[in-house]
Parts: sequence; C-alpha cells; structure tokens
Amino acid sequence: MLVLIFITQVALSCETSAAEHKTRRDAVAAEVKGKIRVSGAWALYPMMVKWTEEFKRVHPEVRIDVSAGGAGKGVADALSGLVDIGMVSRELRPEEMAQNLFFVPVVKDAVFPTVNENNPVIRELTRMGLTKKAFLALWVTGSAKNWGELTGVSNSQKVRVYTRSDSCGAAETWAKYLGKDQEDLKGVAVYGDPGVAEAVRRDRSGIGYNNLNYAYDMKTGRPVAGLHVVAIDVNGNGRVDPEEMLGTKEQAMRAVQSGVYPSPPARDLYLVTKGAFKGPAREFVKWILKDGQKYADDIGYLRINTSQIKAALRKVGE
Amino acid sequence: MDTSRRRLKDTFARISMRASVLFINVLGLAIFCGLLVKAGPILARVPLVELLFSTSWHPMKGSFGLFPFIVGTAEVTLIAMLISIPLCLLCAIYLTEYVGRRSREAARFIIDILAGIPSVIYGLFGVLVIVPVVRAIGESMDVQTTGYSLLAGGLILAIMVIPFIISISLEVLRMVPGEDRESALALGATKWETIKHVVLRKAYRGLLASVVLGFARAFGETMAVLMVVGNVAEVPSSVFDPAYPLPALIANNYGEVMSIPLYDSALMTAAFILMSMVAGFSLTAHYALQRIGLQGHR
Repeated sequence: MLVLIFITQVALSCETSAAEHKTRRDAVAAEVKGKIRVSGAWALYPMMVKWTEEFKRVHPEVRIDVSAGGAGKGVADALSGLVDIGMVSRELRPEEMAQNLFFVPVVKDAVFPTVNENNPVIRELTRMGLTKKAFLALWVTGSAKNWGELTGVSNSQKVRVYTRSDSCGAAETWAKYLGKDQEDLKGVAVYGDPGVAEAVRRDRSGIGYNNLNYAYDMKTGRPVAGLHVVAIDVNGNGRVDPEEMLGTKEQAMRAVQSGVYPSPPARDLYLVTKGAFKGPAREFVKWILKDGQKYADDIGYLRINTSQIKAALRKVGE
Repeated sequence: MDTSRRRLKDTFARISMRASVLFINVLGLAIFCGLLVKAGPILARVPLVELLFSTSWHPMKGSFGLFPFIVGTAEVTLIAMLISIPLCLLCAIYLTEYVGRRSREAARFIIDILAGIPSVIYGLFGVLVIVPVVRAIGESMDVQTTGYSLLAGGLILAIMVIPFIISISLEVLRMVPGEDRESALALGATKWETIKHVVLRKAYRGLLASVVLGFARAFGETMAVLMVVGNVAEVPSSVFDPAYPLPALIANNYGEVMSIPLYDSALMTAAFILMSMVAGFSLTAHYALQRIGLQGHR
C-alpha cells in the first residue's frame, strides 16, 4: 500500500516537473515575436531561407523578410537601419567598420570559376584546369584573347569574360584572389549570381564565376545543367589532381575544407548590423550559431569551426 | 446665406487647386536641390571638368569620371528613339486612318497591357530573347559580341517606350476634326496626301509632345536596361559593345555608398546629371515648340 502511494507520488512529481519544463520552454519559445528584416548577399540567400523556415517552426510568432541584392546592399541597408540583419559575403572594409558595423561569421563557402559545358576546349580544361595566371589574364589584364592561349592547344575561338555588375561579395572575393578590387575586373557585367550563370550557360565561349550554391545544383550535387566548374590548378603541375577536382559539390566542399582550394576565393560569410543585434534578430542570430549550424550541410555550406562559433556567441552576448 | 456658401466653396476649390500645383512644383524643386546638396562634397573635391569628361571610373582609387555613363545614357536613348519613333508614328496613323473602331480598340487593349508589364519582366525577356538575337545579328555581321550591348539596351528600351508614344499619338490624331480630312479628299487628294498635308500638320504639336514623353521615360528606365546592356564603364565604339547608362550605375552601386568615401556623393552627382539631362531635353523641346509658334495660346 505504502509502495503504491510512493510510486504514485514519484510519478506525479515527474509529470509535474515535465509539465513545468514544458511551460517554461513554451514561455521561452513564445517570447520571440516581432519582425526581422534581412537583406544582402546572394551567396547567403539560400542558407538564410532555410534558416528562416526552421526558425519559424520553433518560433511561429516571428515574421522574417529576406531579400537579396548583393553584399554591398546588405551593408548599406544594415548601416542605414533599413534591415535588422545584413548578409555579407566578403571581408568588411575599414570604412564600414568605422561606422559601427557589428559582424559575426556564420558559415563558409567559396566562389568557383565556371564555363559552358560545351566549351571548345572542355577536354583540356577538365584535364588541366586553369591557373591563377590565366584568371589574371582574363579578368585583370584582358590579354588572353582565345581559348587556345589558355590551354596550349590551337583554338582561335574568342574568350568572352563575364563578371558581376551589382556591388557584391562574389566579385569582391574573386577580385581579392587576383589581388584587385571588383571595379578592376574586366568583362561584361551581368546583374546577380543567377544572371552570370545564365549568361555562361547560353554562351559556349563564356567564362564567369559563381557562388557554390549557384554553380552546383542543390538536388543533384553536380554543376548546374549547362555549366562546368573549372578546377584551379593550385600546385601548377599542369593537371587536375584528385584533391583539386571540383566535379561535384562534395568534392568542392572537401577541397575548401582541406584548404587545397585557396582562400580567397573561399571565404567566411557574415551577418552584420549597426551597433549590436537586438530583440528577435538577436535570438535569431544566436539560434543560427547554435541550432542553425546543422542545416548547413544539407544546403551545402561549410560550418565554421567551434572556436569561431564560441567567439561569435560571446560577441553577440549569450 | 446661399450665395456666401457657394462663394466659400468656390474659394476653397481655387485654393486647393493652387496648393496642389504648388506642392508638385515644390516637390520637383526639392528633389533637384536635395541632389545638389548631396553632390556637394565631391563637387568641392573634384573639378567639374574631370567629373563630366574623364573616362576613368575607379572609385576605390578616387577617380570619378562620368563621361562613359553620360555617353551611354545618351546613346542608348537615341537608339531606342530611332527605332520606336517611326514605328509608333506609322502604327498610330494606321490605327486612326485605316482601320475601324473594333480593331482599334483591340490594338489599344494589347498596347495597354504592354504598358503595364513591370520593368524586371522586360529585363528577363531581354536576357532570354533580345541578347541571343543581338549575338546572332553580330555573328552574321562577323562581329564578336556577347549580346549584352548598347543595341540590346536600345531594343528593350524601344519596346518599353512604344506603348506610351502610341497611346498619346492615337489621342492626338483622333482629335483632328473629320471635316478637315473630308475637305482634302474632296479636293482630290489621295489618302496619304491627306494624312501628310492635313492630319499630320494639325497634330504636329501633340505628336512632338508624345515623343518628348517617350524620351523622358527612356532616359530613366533602369532595371530592364541594366540586365541587358553589359555594364562596362567604357565609351562604346559600336552598337555591339557593352555600355553603362547613368540609371544602371546608380542601381548597381548604391550598395557601396557606405564604404567608399565620396562614392555616395558621386552617385548623387550622377543622379543630378541624369535629372538635368531630362529637364534640359524637355525645356529645349518646349522652347522649340514655342519658337515654331504652334504653342503659347491654349
């Protein structure tokens, strides 16, 4: 009889504490409400969309508006207070930092050079890749005129170089890799990352550059239909070694993770704001740094390492 | 009691109409002055001659030459007008003089739809259709081009401006009294002679006004043009070369205004120059019409 009473008591108290936990959790979850406005880099856009979906599942009261427009726009909007969170896919400039710009890294990705899959010298490109010297000749000096020059075979088809017209992180990162600024890059400038991908898809002789998630198809993991990602011959031995290969998204991510793929054009992606993150935006950023990290693999971004996460959380103010 | 109420309403109507006119004029002036004020910093630092005539655009290094953009704007607008003016005029004449009311209303309907299509949709159409067409034309003429060019910008701009010019031209041509046409035909003139010597003569002023409106629209059209024009800051040497009009410059780069010193001031100067180009063009047209003596009296 006593045992029965004892067991009932224990059972009841367990249930009560479980109920208490649930109400406390509900209280925390219900607390986050309001509107969060996000804008900025095309590079972060797919990841941000996924994070928005998952965050809203945990906090249904909150409204999040996300728009893309380039990293420059993200910074400008954040500094002028138009958005709560700016997405930036390049290093921040001293002039921007001087205006009280607060930033945390959230994921990593990279910019990859792309050509049309029916390129005149596709066989040589797949076998040999291209070196940084070739990229300089294409985007900076403009001295590489035809595909034959770049690959050492006789082919007089003219190369048509594409770059980005909007002020964006991808162009800035690519330019940094070549030691220049976005405004120094030559080539016909097209609006938006999808714009460049489309231009190269439709131009057999075209070469451009794209963010990881616009170069590779998210579902198949292979380059987007019509595109071929050119491997960078980092060690300059005239051929594409297994660790330099960029045939699938997995190989690309591994190359970036291992450090074989140079950094830049691989880079950290940041979320920025003026002063400090406040209110629902702050909760969102904290969530991104903790629970949000696991979604990076599915969408195809690289996680930042644990010391970076710890430093970021400390900065946001846990 | 009745009269004073009526007089009150009359006064009130007059005041509110005056206030509206004043408001609109003040708005225009405010935009003008606001741009000038924001352009101040760079105008103080960089000589105006360099801003207007230098071809070197490297904001990170401090060189702000707007000449390629000014030329780009002028050229892409000129190409658009050269394509659209004859097309619109002939279309409007045909719709008023040669077809019945039913066909005219049907054409009107389609033109109104064209006028309502958003700019970015025209841009997509430009990227998917116009750019490959321009590339094909270039290749048939042995010219290497990506298709993203002055010509592509001019073509898409022409398509966007056509509905506006046609609508106004239609109205203007319809206002020519039927008796004038009949008198000419009675004197033995052919249909075309009637149109040329009577209808167009009478509608000249209104047609010019519609063209000026088309020009003003073409100068400022941003999104569709920036998606197809190539955005390279160099003066184009042929219609197959990429160009960079002023609206595209502002739309592409306002994201940088926070980070490069003097950049926001340079973009405001570009905006001010654009506004001046449009205003200058309208004023010139206005003046020309007055000189011809076809305007001045209501």
